[in-house]
Amino acid sequence: MTLNVRTAAVRAEGLSRRYGATRALDDVSLTLDRGITGLLGPNGAGKTTLLSILATVNEPDAGQVSVFGLDPRDAAERPEIRRRLGYLPQELGYHRHFTVAGFLDYVAILKEITDRRRRAEEVARVLAALGLERRARTRIRALSGGLRQRLGIAQALLGRPDLLILDEPTAGLDPEQRLRFRELLSGLPGDPVIVLSTHQADDIAAICPHVVVLLQGQVHFTGTPAELAATAAGRVWAACERDARAHLSWRGGDNRWRHIGDNPPAGAELVAPTVEDGYLLLSHAAGAR
Amino acid sequence: MTSSFPGPAGPAAGADGHAGEDLLAGYAAGTVDGVAVWSVEAHLTGCARCRSALSAHVDAERLAGNRSVLLVRAALPEGGRVRRLLCRCGVPDHLLRLLVATPSLRRSWLLSVAGVLAVVAGEAAAVTHGWLGTGGRMVPPGYLDPGILAPFLLVAPLLVLAGVAAAFLPMFDPAYRLAVAAPFSGVTLLLVRTVSALAAALVPVVAAAFVLPGPGWLPAALLLPSLALCAFALAAATVTDPRAAAVTAAALWALPVLLASAHVPLLMVQRNAQFVCAAVLCASAVVLFLRYDRFDIGWTR
Amino acid sequence: MRPGAAESDDAVLLRAVARGNEEALAALYDRHAGWLTVRMTRRCAMPDVVDQAVQDTFLVLWRGAGGYRGGGDVAAFIWGIGIRRLIDAIRRENGARRRPPWRAAEPEVVVSAEDQVLVGIEHGRLGQALAGLSPELRSAIEATVLDGLTCAEAAVLLGVAEGTVKSRCHRARVALRAALAEPQSGPDTTAPHREAWGTS
Repeated sequence: MTLNVRTAAVRAEGLSRRYGATRALDDVSLTLDRGITGLLGPNGAGKTTLLSILATVNEPDAGQVSVFGLDPRDAAERPEIRRRLGYLPQELGYHRHFTVAGFLDYVAILKEITDRRRRAEEVARVLAALGLERRARTRIRALSGGLRQRLGIAQALLGRPDLLILDEPTAGLDPEQRLRFRELLSGLPGDPVIVLSTHQADDIAAICPHVVVLLQGQVHFTGTPAELAATAAGRVWAACERDARAHLSWRGGDNRWRHIGDNPPAGAELVAPTVEDGYLLLSHAAGAR
Repeated sequence: MTSSFPGPAGPAAGADGHAGEDLLAGYAAGTVDGVAVWSVEAHLTGCARCRSALSAHVDAERLAGNRSVLLVRAALPEGGRVRRLLCRCGVPDHLLRLLVATPSLRRSWLLSVAGVLAVVAGEAAAVTHGWLGTGGRMVPPGYLDPGILAPFLLVAPLLVLAGVAAAFLPMFDPAYRLAVAAPFSGVTLLLVRTVSALAAALVPVVAAAFVLPGPGWLPAALLLPSLALCAFALAAATVTDPRAAAVTAAALWALPVLLASAHVPLLMVQRNAQFVCAAVLCASAVVLFLRYDRFDIGWTR
Repeated sequence: MRPGAAESDDAVLLRAVARGNEEALAALYDRHAGWLTVRMTRRCAMPDVVDQAVQDTFLVLWRGAGGYRGGGDVAAFIWGIGIRRLIDAIRRENGARRRPPWRAAEPEVVVSAEDQVLVGIEHGRLGQALAGLSPELRSAIEATVLDGLTCAEAAVLLGVAEGTVKSRCHRARVALRAALAEPQSGPDTTAPHREAWGTS
């Protein structure tokens, strides 16, 4: 089995997964390459299911997955994938009595870093990367939500993974922390494949050069954020009054109404669409089906 | 002011009694040789100023790296006596550290187990010695009523099962998905946790059995049922939902004991029952052996 | 700077460290890790092992097992722990893979820590006698007598068998006795050196 980590990618084809009567994923196919890919979708769209399948934590009912050329269904290849994996699940729970350093040490052992010295070095490295050095001895139950989130990201970075799967990593982070998170991701050595999920479009715009929109278990868009914004070109306009013909309207900070709809009125003041506009339009279209 | 004088590698000394920069640099670089180094080291022991001057000649990055690793190592909890003992017996250190995450080895858990056993066994002992009432039954003093053992027989193997269940049920491991997504063999992790949970649970149970008034073979008789129960729960967990498996195992023990205790309380631990338990243990072991790789995959249903 | 002030600071820091004050540990490290690293490097050329030993030393202080009873050189106390941690670290590396370059040791354990006495020794008769020994004999003496190690520990440090250490110490002692028994040859060279160092 030759493993080409430099050029290979993550591929998923025809993934489907049901939970009882609900279809969490319906024939989902996508490709992930080096760099950051954002998975955008509302809650319940199947993002967590998809990420857990890619992280070998879950099995699809149908479809194929290939991670760096390895098949997670093969019991022999699964540990090989996991050796290159860093995973932050949604709503990660922590053993309450753990300290920050103790928890990272525990995860490092799970990542097969058995040598005590190397483990301490790795833990020190990720603590420094996430600015948590001063909290090494703090018990996790005493941490705020934002700090816990940073701890979750830190454990995903242990062992320098080639595939980083982050489920809602920006939840609970304030804008300054998001900025540092963005810098952290773009500065990771080894150029790993990074996929993160979010339901906020401005995270995508700020962080991800590539975006996949997932709605109701299906992929509705693949491309760059600029392309996503462009799908709403000519369909976003501003006005002083509310417009009933728009699909969505809201009042902006400048006290003017922003409208998104398929049929802007003639002579309406078109504005440049944002990523969020494109996403909302797609969302609305999917909901209408 | 430097003075030249005969002797090994004339060191340059400062005028004020401290080691000069050249001397310190030479000492740090290893170029100062021979017996002259004694003077430097003797002086450094007593002089903080020269010590900090010397620090400037050490690679700052190396010092900083060691500093952060040191602070991490200082932040990690030190092992208790049991852990040190096990380490000396050859158990790898990283396996012991994994046990930190096992709920059934936490002091709170062990105290609860001890508490339950104390209540159950204490009640039985108290009734036998006549300190408590006998519930309306007419018993001569010193008579051993097998009925009083029923609560203990019910509870003891269930406590062992609970300990093992806490080791493998995902609901007891908040970071469960991390353990699944990690390359560390899920089977090894399960094995380590189960064995330690068994040991931690069987010791108080067997100890309580010694304290109880009852047949002398009672402590030994509890082993097979406890092990059979745990093995059954684990084997069932490879087939169905782990929680259901644990509950089923508990029910499979509790119901017969409750039914039997009305008539023949010790039935569940006597010879025939022991054979049944042994058979269950073997069958479960076979199932586990065939299906152990199920423990490697997430059980999110 | 008055030596007394620095000493009491260090003693205070040490007690704070033993009590679990993390910042005190960092401060103690910042003060002492530099010279400890250099001094250990003089005895063991493997930087990884030295790094381990330095960390282990401060961990011992952190866990309070050092047993510092106050009064006396904190630096000497730290060195006493450090040299033993270094031996342990070397042992863990399956014995020293190659003979480390042994320079010289500071005899604070056996001989009095008075700078002047030691400075005098360097160019005095004992120093000359020691300098006259061959390097292996000198290292053996310095490890056992000056650093206060047992023969087993010295064997680990020097990377030789314990019996070799014992026989080298014996030969060194014989040579030293012989050298010291001779009438002093040459002028007393301690005076100008003492001037250069000044009084502490």
